[in-house]
Amino acid sequence: MMEITLNHYLVLSTILFAIGLVGVMRRKNLLMLFFATEILLNSVNIAFAAISHFYGDLTGQMFAFFVIAIAASEVAVGLGLLIVWHKRHGNIDLDTMSTMRG
Amino acid sequence: MFDHILSILIFFPALAGLFGFVIQKDSVRAYGVAVAAIEFALSLWLWYAFDANVSGMQFMEFLPLVPAFGINYILGVDGVSLFIIILASFFTMIGIASLSDTKNEKNMIITLLFLQMTMVGVFAALDAIVFYIFWELSLVPMLYIIGAWGGPLRIYASVKFFLYTFAGSLVMLVGMLFMAYYFYQATGTWSFAILDWYRLILPETFQLWLFVAFFIGFAIKVPMFPFHTWLPYAHGQAPTIGSVILAAILLKMGTYAFIRFSLPMFPDASVFFMFPIAVIAIIMIIYTAMVAYAQEDIKQVVAYSSISHMGVIILGTFALNVEGITGSVFLMIAHGVVSGALFLLVGVIYDRRHTKMMSEFGGLAQVMPRYATVFGLMLMASVGLPLTINFVGEFLSLLGFYKQSHILTLLAGVAIIVGAIYMLAAYKRMFFGNVTNEKNKNLPDVNTREWLALIPLAIITVWLGVYPKPVLEPINNSVESIVQLMHEKSITAEAKERIPNLIKDAEAATSAQEAH
Amino acid sequence: MEFYLYLALFAPLAGSLFASLFGASKKNLIAGLVPSLLLFTSFVSSTILLVHILSGGEAVHVEMMTWMATGDLYIPFGFLVDEVSVTMMMVVTIVSTVVHFYSIGYMDHDKAFNRFFAWLSAFVFSMMVLVMSDNFAGLFIGWEGVGLCSWALIGFWYHKESATWAANEAFIMNRIADLGMLIGIFLVYWNTGTLQYNEAFAAMPSLETDVLVWTGIFLFIGAMGKSAQFPLHTWLADAMEGPTPVSALIHAATMVTAGVYLVVRANPLYDMIPEVGIFIASLGAFVALFAASMALVNRDMKRIIAYSTLSQLGYMFVAAGLGAYWVALFHLMAHAFFKALLFLGAGNVMHAMHDELDPFKMGGLKKAMKWTFIMMTLASVALAGIFPLAGFFSKDLILEVAFIEHHYVIYSVLLFTAGLTAFYSFRLVALIFHGEERYKLFGVHPHEAYKFMLIAMSPLLLLAIIAGAFKMTYFEMVTAVLPATEYHVHSAMTYWIMTIGTQLFVILAIAYAYKKYANSNVKVPDGTSKMENRLCYKILSNQYYIPYFYEEYLVKPYRELSAVFWKQVDLKVVDATVDGIANIIYTTGEKTRGMQSGNLSTMLKWMVVGTVALLTLAVVFGLAVRYSVEINAILSALGVK
Repeated sequence: MMEITLNHYLVLSTILFAIGLVGVMRRKNLLMLFFATEILLNSVNIAFAAISHFYGDLTGQMFAFFVIAIAASEVAVGLGLLIVWHKRHGNIDLDTMSTMRG
Repeated sequence: MFDHILSILIFFPALAGLFGFVIQKDSVRAYGVAVAAIEFALSLWLWYAFDANVSGMQFMEFLPLVPAFGINYILGVDGVSLFIIILASFFTMIGIASLSDTKNEKNMIITLLFLQMTMVGVFAALDAIVFYIFWELSLVPMLYIIGAWGGPLRIYASVKFFLYTFAGSLVMLVGMLFMAYYFYQATGTWSFAILDWYRLILPETFQLWLFVAFFIGFAIKVPMFPFHTWLPYAHGQAPTIGSVILAAILLKMGTYAFIRFSLPMFPDASVFFMFPIAVIAIIMIIYTAMVAYAQEDIKQVVAYSSISHMGVIILGTFALNVEGITGSVFLMIAHGVVSGALFLLVGVIYDRRHTKMMSEFGGLAQVMPRYATVFGLMLMASVGLPLTINFVGEFLSLLGFYKQSHILTLLAGVAIIVGAIYMLAAYKRMFFGNVTNEKNKNLPDVNTREWLALIPLAIITVWLGVYPKPVLEPINNSVESIVQLMHEKSITAEAKERIPNLIKDAEAATSAQEAH
Repeated sequence: MEFYLYLALFAPLAGSLFASLFGASKKNLIAGLVPSLLLFTSFVSSTILLVHILSGGEAVHVEMMTWMATGDLYIPFGFLVDEVSVTMMMVVTIVSTVVHFYSIGYMDHDKAFNRFFAWLSAFVFSMMVLVMSDNFAGLFIGWEGVGLCSWALIGFWYHKESATWAANEAFIMNRIADLGMLIGIFLVYWNTGTLQYNEAFAAMPSLETDVLVWTGIFLFIGAMGKSAQFPLHTWLADAMEGPTPVSALIHAATMVTAGVYLVVRANPLYDMIPEVGIFIASLGAFVALFAASMALVNRDMKRIIAYSTLSQLGYMFVAAGLGAYWVALFHLMAHAFFKALLFLGAGNVMHAMHDELDPFKMGGLKKAMKWTFIMMTLASVALAGIFPLAGFFSKDLILEVAFIEHHYVIYSVLLFTAGLTAFYSFRLVALIFHGEERYKLFGVHPHEAYKFMLIAMSPLLLLAIIAGAFKMTYFEMVTAVLPATEYHVHSAMTYWIMTIGTQLFVILAIAYAYKKYANSNVKVPDGTSKMENRLCYKILSNQYYIPYFYEEYLVKPYRELSAVFWKQVDLKVVDATVDGIANIIYTTGEKTRGMQSGNLSTMLKWMVVGTVALLTLAVVFGLAVRYSVEINAILSALGVK
């Protein structure tokens, strides 16, 4: 059986990041956008944890926790806003949210 | 108190302007006149206290602003800037005094007072950053004056004026920053003080680049061909008072800055660029004079004539000898007085007829003989007739440049011909002939308020034309020190040769006398 | 003596200022009288100065105050009364005093009586500055000052289009010459270091010939403008639009002779450059003939006299160019007297004929205007150079000078011109005063001018007759500062042949003029006669088509080019470029603002694009740094570096 190296983790991280990125770009539903953002953040987390493990330096893992914390708070605020928006407009479609049009 | 005369001169009008907001609408004009008169009296005191025999800076003030970067509040005047400051306060005074009925008079007067602060600030500043701040600030009141009280195209004209000059001065700012950085490299301390920069000898390549950077900023302000097109719009749309101040003072910032920055800081580059600039100056002189001849609108004639005269000033400046530079500084004053007066005169007829098209007039000499007389006097001054103020400046500028090039001076001298052509043609169209337009039949002649502005200008025009010494002497002394500085600083052999060495000349003269 | 100098100089200025106080008010006799009296004072002072100089006194030299001083340049208001300038002062003050008193009558009915005297006296002041200055800059002040006054006086009746046009033409044409003058002054300054006459002339012998030649040429260009020499001559004839006293004073006696004065004043310079002198003399001879030929056929009384002035100026330049400065000055003086007289007489005729200028429409006026007739005839005799009137002594002298200096071509041209002069002068006299009374056809009732006008003219008449008698006194005086060359034909025989021959030739010309124009067959030309359809007549009456040429090939192109510069170049190229640059920025902004539509997903897309671009850049640069050695090797192998 093949040994799992750092590269595998990084590839996985990259794939996840790409999925998240596409999601960010293509999705019009705000909820889905949040999911995509979560994927992005978690792909980075994987990379952090993996690199941290391979170099024996705990800083990376520590950062992963930070990211998780930030993601959680972001989702908390974001979902709150999302619910307010939904109550007011009855949808959560991105294209309707352009009152700041340039 | 008079230790800080320059600061007072700068900030007094601004503070008075702030107070102006609480003044009653009806009395704001009297208030404005009073403030401007005090300011003018102070500037006259400055002249009185000014020691004409000292060539360097006087009334110096120093206040650290950002010492870490050598940015300080330094003020001072010499013979070059003294008279422009006086001119600025003088024109603000008579400008406010002769202000014709305008809407929002209060705003106008307050704006003018702020404008005065910036004008005096530019000419008194001896620190590049302070200079730059006032330089840019001066755009704001003028933008407001054109934009708020201008003609139908006022927004376009004011925005063009603002953006054009602003873009130019940004390049100048880069030059200043580089200059300070180079100063830091050379000496280990930061300094934006112009007098410090004077002592710095730059390698020629640096000079060339820096000269160009400064040149763009100044040339747009002057305005030099081909950067001049904002001026006709600005003049065409601006109210009378705006045109007067713009032509009399604001344009002089550019030419003044050439003498304050470019010449002493970059003597070799000045010599290097002398001929290209002279060619531009000649194009300005002849080309804009011809354009002026083609105009239909009397105000545009005066506006283009301004550009043409600025060409002579530039030429005198780049004569790089005492006669030429003194002449160009004097011509700045002269052109200020004369073009200011001409714009006021255009304003007189505009107030009566609300048109500036020459085809609407004709035969005005019969209806308004006094107006025609003053206009004639100013016209002759503009044409450069001896014993009027302009002649002294023009003569000296051309005389100075003749030392550098015969042919170019001959071409530049065409100024006296083409100037006569457009001015006389315009005068003929407006004043001669019979009154053909019914509306002109009963125009009132110049009234007291207008006389108030025109008589002092007429007196100055003749007085300084006959007896320019009180003004010429201080200018001469300061210019001599600048020229000497340039000669000593210059590196290239050509510059050493082109810029006269006054001390050697003086020594040679004395030794020749001893030999006798 | 300084007091008289200042009095002579500033009395006209005071008169001018006094009259200008009444500038805008109604006609006021005092506004004419006071300047005239002040001028008389000026005349008396000049006479005192003349007596002082004649009695061997020192030249009076004063320095009033500094005008300009900067660098090495020092220009004072300095005034000098020496033998040359006192001559000019006398000419100027005599003629202008006469013209002032005369004008009180002539301008009697004019609304702008006061303004007229203000300008006329201002002119005299400028002229005095011109002749009395002790330096080139002061000369230039007067030079431009007379130009200004001439502009204002030619265009005096400014409601007339032709008058204002002529005024502007005169001013601008003079300005062209003034540029030459200015360059000449610059040359003097940069080469001698001063503008004072005495110092500059003292420094000149050590200069290179080239410099001197250029200085001489440029100064002479200035003189050409004021003295209306070809090709800057057209303004003088057009200047006749001004009131006739103006023509008498400015455009005959004084201002137009300023050019001659300049050459005389700069005699040390022109003595050193005889080749320029020859040019001046040749041009003078050419103009003498050229102007006289145009006078032959002209049908405007004042223009005929103007051309005659032009022609006589040519004579003066011949003398000056050949180094006979005192002769030039002498002819200048004599000419001023009889030409002013002629003009004033013409003014009387114009008044009598209600401003009619065509002599063909006059005829037989000698009955109605006896005194004017006598005066004009005598002036014409003097002009023609008949013994013993003034013209004989001065003009024949110039012929002799040309002969003695061996310039036979110039001599013969001048001799021929003398005949022409006599012919056109008496053509004019004959047409105006003799023959049928053709004016009756036009319903005019001529009357003689006011008596005091005739009396005012009488000093000129007297001088026109006797000026020749002063020749030797004058010679002795003026040669104290001018080269004292006496011109004597070598053999007495030649002298008598020349003199009598010239006289006979001139008298024949006069007789021919009388025969042709004093008879009763003269008709008002209507464009059908054979002569009028001849080519040469057309050329002459159209002034060789030179004004046409100027209008068509200089003025019009200038006007059109100006319009092109404004409408095409300034608006469509220079300004359009600026606006174009501004527009590019505007449009870029307009196009790219779509990026920031506020739509979150679009913005996210752009964010991703930006990230990718930055990453790519980082990678590319990273690789480039990593492999820089290899890249350099490849590049140098390709010969790029």
